[in-house]
Amino acid sequence: MSELQLPLAVWFSPMFPVGAFAYSHGLEWAYETGNITDAEALRDWLATLIERGALHNDAILLGAAHRAALQGDACCLAEVNELALALATSRERRLETTTQGNAFLLAIRKSWPCAILDLLQGSEDVAYPVAVAVAAAGHDFPLDVTLDMFCLGFVSNLVSAAIRLGIVGQSEGQRVIAALMPVLRKTGHKCASKDVDDLGGSAFRSDLASLKHETQYTRLFRS
Amino acid sequence: MFSDPPSEIVQSAVPLVPGYVRASGGIRVRFAATDRRTQAIERAESGGYRVRFPRIAETCEAVLINTGGGMAGGDRMGAELSLDAGAAAVITTQAAEKIYRSQGAMTEIGVDLTLGSGSRLDWLPQEMILFCGSRWRRRLAADVAADASLTIAESMVFGRVAMDEIVERGFCHDRWRIRRDGKLVFAEDMRLDGNPAGLLAVKASGNGARALATIVHVAPHAEQRLDEARDLLALASSECGASAWNGMLVVRVLSRDAQGLRADLVRFLEGFRHAAMPRSWG
Repeated sequence: MSELQLPLAVWFSPMFPVGAFAYSHGLEWAYETGNITDAEALRDWLATLIERGALHNDAILLGAAHRAALQGDACCLAEVNELALALATSRERRLETTTQGNAFLLAIRKSWPCAILDLLQGSEDVAYPVAVAVAAAGHDFPLDVTLDMFCLGFVSNLVSAAIRLGIVGQSEGQRVIAALMPVLRKTGHKCASKDVDDLGGSAFRSDLASLKHETQYTRLFRS
Repeated sequence: MFSDPPSEIVQSAVPLVPGYVRASGGIRVRFAATDRRTQAIERAESGGYRVRFPRIAETCEAVLINTGGGMAGGDRMGAELSLDAGAAAVITTQAAEKIYRSQGAMTEIGVDLTLGSGSRLDWLPQEMILFCGSRWRRRLAADVAADASLTIAESMVFGRVAMDEIVERGFCHDRWRIRRDGKLVFAEDMRLDGNPAGLLAVKASGNGARALATIVHVAPHAEQRLDEARDLLALASSECGASAWNGMLVVRVLSRDAQGLRADLVRFLEGFRHAAMPRSWG
């Protein structure tokens, strides 16, 4: 990452006000039901999300939105955003992407403004990967670096959730992130050249986890 | 419309079945409300596909029939159904649809549903059975008026259960796009490529599931029916859950036991629709 792209590190740090800490993406249900009990199971579960789950789709959507934003195509951008919102697999997933997307955009408008954000004016809710893509395009951050950082942010946040749930300890959590690095890079790299026609996955029980989480009795997380 | 992804199956230089004998066909039906009941006012059939309207049901029921008995690589089927204002219809299939092993060519299905103002459509085909080596793609598009009611229930089974078939090779991509009042409200892309059974084995995917079902209900009061839907799922032997947002209700079901999943699906759909399944469901 060059010096000029350093703001990306801030945008995906836990201190950036998007409230990422509130979402477990269904991990809380998977933990309570004994689907994820240790570091190995956590790594495998996350690898599926990265390669064939929500993160894979989000990375493709981020790329499509980034290209539309660079071309100044508000119409195409609105279509990608509509698709990103419609792809949410449950009420909580929808909440996850819209609250973080809207909060991200608000923080960028206030503290890291750029003219290109006006392209999103017609959209009431903005999906998180779309908000990230437009801000990155507005600051001339290339897609590949943005994707790497976005994917890493997603995984770091879920590992942090797993630590708070007590699935793994601090250093085990770090080892899980380290072990996932090749998968993350591969997915980011592959998705950079993919388009919305390539969407699709098979993380069925992760999707189910987010449905079941809605009725879970005790909950630390909003998803 | 379709571009072929790279085939992972080694293709023989001389196909067993030449391309020109592959089947292409489908049906198109337009329903309208008449004084007494909904009737099909336009009907077109092509290839080996037929549609029949059994007179036994109180509501207008249409049964799709594939006289070919299944679909092979290269086969294409299109179903176009439209409902005029106030029409109500239930659509099903005569049997489970079998998707045979392909030598490389894609089996393609297109479904287009158009629901006019105040209409109601229950799209309840029997399950798809995906054979080992099948290569299958579907595009399902629905355009629903703001005050119309659509229920889609689709299920698929990986491999022939009786012979304990493992689908260790294959491709499937199922794309759904549902628009309500012109706005995209539900999108989903299910994609399994390479070794479907292997992919389904992992915990975040299927944990060994062999059958999957998705139900989407888009209607004015869909969200208010979430508790009712959850109660109906409480007795299910399959893993399942429901959620409601954005004017729709979604149920997802998966199981290692294809027959158990079918029984759960029937129980849910009968309870939720307050109506028996079409007779072809047996």
